[in-house]
Amino acid sequence: MTAVIAATHLSKWYGNVLGLNDVSLEIEAGITGLLGPNGAGKSTFMKLITGQMKPNIGQVTVRGRKSWNSPVLFRDIGFCPENDVFYEEMTGWEFVTGLLRFYGYSASEIKERAAKALDIVELTKDKDRLIRGYSRGMRQRVKFAQAIAHDPEIVILDEPLSGLDPLGKRKLIKLIKEFKSEGRTVLVSSHVLPEIEALTSEIVLVHQGKILAQGDIRFIRELIESHPHMISVRSSDPRALAARFVGDRSIQKMSFGADGRTLVVETHKRDDFFGCLTGVVLEGGIEIEEISSPDDNLQAVFEYLVGK
Amino acid sequence: MMNTHRAVREVFGFFLCLGRKTGKTRVFALLGLVPVALAVVVRVVLHGRTGDMAAVFTEILMVFFLQFYIVILALFYGTSVVAEEVEGRTLSYLITRPIAKPAIVLGKYAAYSLLMFLMVAVSLSLSFFIMNAGRLADARLYLTYLSYLGVLGLGILAYTAFFSFLGTVLKKAILVGLVFGFGWENVIQYFPGSTQKFSVVHYLKSLLPYRPMGGGGGGVALLLFRLEPTSPAIAVLMLAVIAGVFLALACWVFRTKEYLYEE
Repeated sequence: MTAVIAATHLSKWYGNVLGLNDVSLEIEAGITGLLGPNGAGKSTFMKLITGQMKPNIGQVTVRGRKSWNSPVLFRDIGFCPENDVFYEEMTGWEFVTGLLRFYGYSASEIKERAAKALDIVELTKDKDRLIRGYSRGMRQRVKFAQAIAHDPEIVILDEPLSGLDPLGKRKLIKLIKEFKSEGRTVLVSSHVLPEIEALTSEIVLVHQGKILAQGDIRFIRELIESHPHMISVRSSDPRALAARFVGDRSIQKMSFGADGRTLVVETHKRDDFFGCLTGVVLEGGIEIEEISSPDDNLQAVFEYLVGK
Repeated sequence: MMNTHRAVREVFGFFLCLGRKTGKTRVFALLGLVPVALAVVVRVVLHGRTGDMAAVFTEILMVFFLQFYIVILALFYGTSVVAEEVEGRTLSYLITRPIAKPAIVLGKYAAYSLLMFLMVAVSLSLSFFIMNAGRLADARLYLTYLSYLGVLGLGILAYTAFFSFLGTVLKKAILVGLVFGFGWENVIQYFPGSTQKFSVVHYLKSLLPYRPMGGGGGGVALLLFRLEPTSPAIAVLMLAVIAGVFLALACWVFRTKEYLYEE
């Protein structure tokens, strides 16, 4: 698959502060989550992609074209900034229609697109109110509406879920996932792990201006050789199960869960372990009720990678 | 991508709509009522007197318009063309659109210039005709009014271009603009010889209807004090050059400069 967004040895600094350090990565169609703590460099990266900043070293391209001073690119890019800033004296309708004017649409098309975008974010009823009077969630939604109103192929969303209530978050997550099914490229940043996890498994971990890892969460997990996988197996007889595993070289450590029915296994060779587990199941005698991997989530991956 | 002409028009429309609703516009529109109120007071006091005193007070009003009102308007609107987008962090909404960056500066400059001109025109028209209500049948009055309005319009264009440029290059453009508008401009215009030609107001005053000190014009030449006028054609040309050059510079800086939001 061809990369939609590509960064090559990209570095950006603000005076003596390093914003982004030698970043090289490619982002393909679908949803990619940009995850990292505040100040990690996520917004800097997004501003470089959207041509708001000029790289100090390296380059960033969108569909093969450098993004700095390339306004032609923005017909296909929708950007939702992180900051809660607006032209406060405008109504939601004026804000969205006003920004749509910059795409060369006819007056009727502007109205049609604005109405559709505001309907998607459920602001139709409040479209004629001043943005100044909007709640935080409404402000977040109108910001999202302006980013999607021109139907962009590439959507860059900087912390889009912040300030939304749980229902609003769920709706926006559903909407972003629909973009993926339509073949669009969505880059979403967040410092909240479950938000990204709910959106995608394709992540880029950013920390102190560097890309720590990129890829599928599970794939990234495989890369962490220094830390074993934890696999939890709930069975009718965990001690008998442990006895069967003792001779298996793929297993590094075993412990029993507090509920007395769970065996927690640590292994560096997950595939080998599952092979062994399959053998045990086929041999019979022990009923396996549930297999889960408690550390196969973003929080664990992130903590391992940043060495916390 | 939209052609630059259309993009300028769209940006113009966007900021004309926005500009008329801001608190800044309300404050400056109210400020424009000060000469109107003054004209009403003077008119009441001068009731039944000759037109000469009205002409004198009209010149006093023109000092307000020429050396204060259009300068303060241009300073606040001109510097805000770029600076308010950076300070308000709304620049992201504009520069991530398929329009050339200079179109943003040009469109916003045009919208704000029109807005300022309308405020000045309303204020000048009301105060001028209230003050000269006794001479409404005199055709020369209307020529004087039109020349004042034209001079103020040109002043808005030149000052706003200069302050727009300051706003693109400086973080504290307002402070520098204040020093320029009310320091440099107020002092340098009274210097003898060609030194006064380094001020914008010199060219604006050169376009005013000439009223010699103590001459038969019947008025005091407040505005023409120590003026060594440039010919009207050169003055218009210079004002156009000032506006054009600083606007072009503002566009170039805005296109090439990277604006970072302060944390």
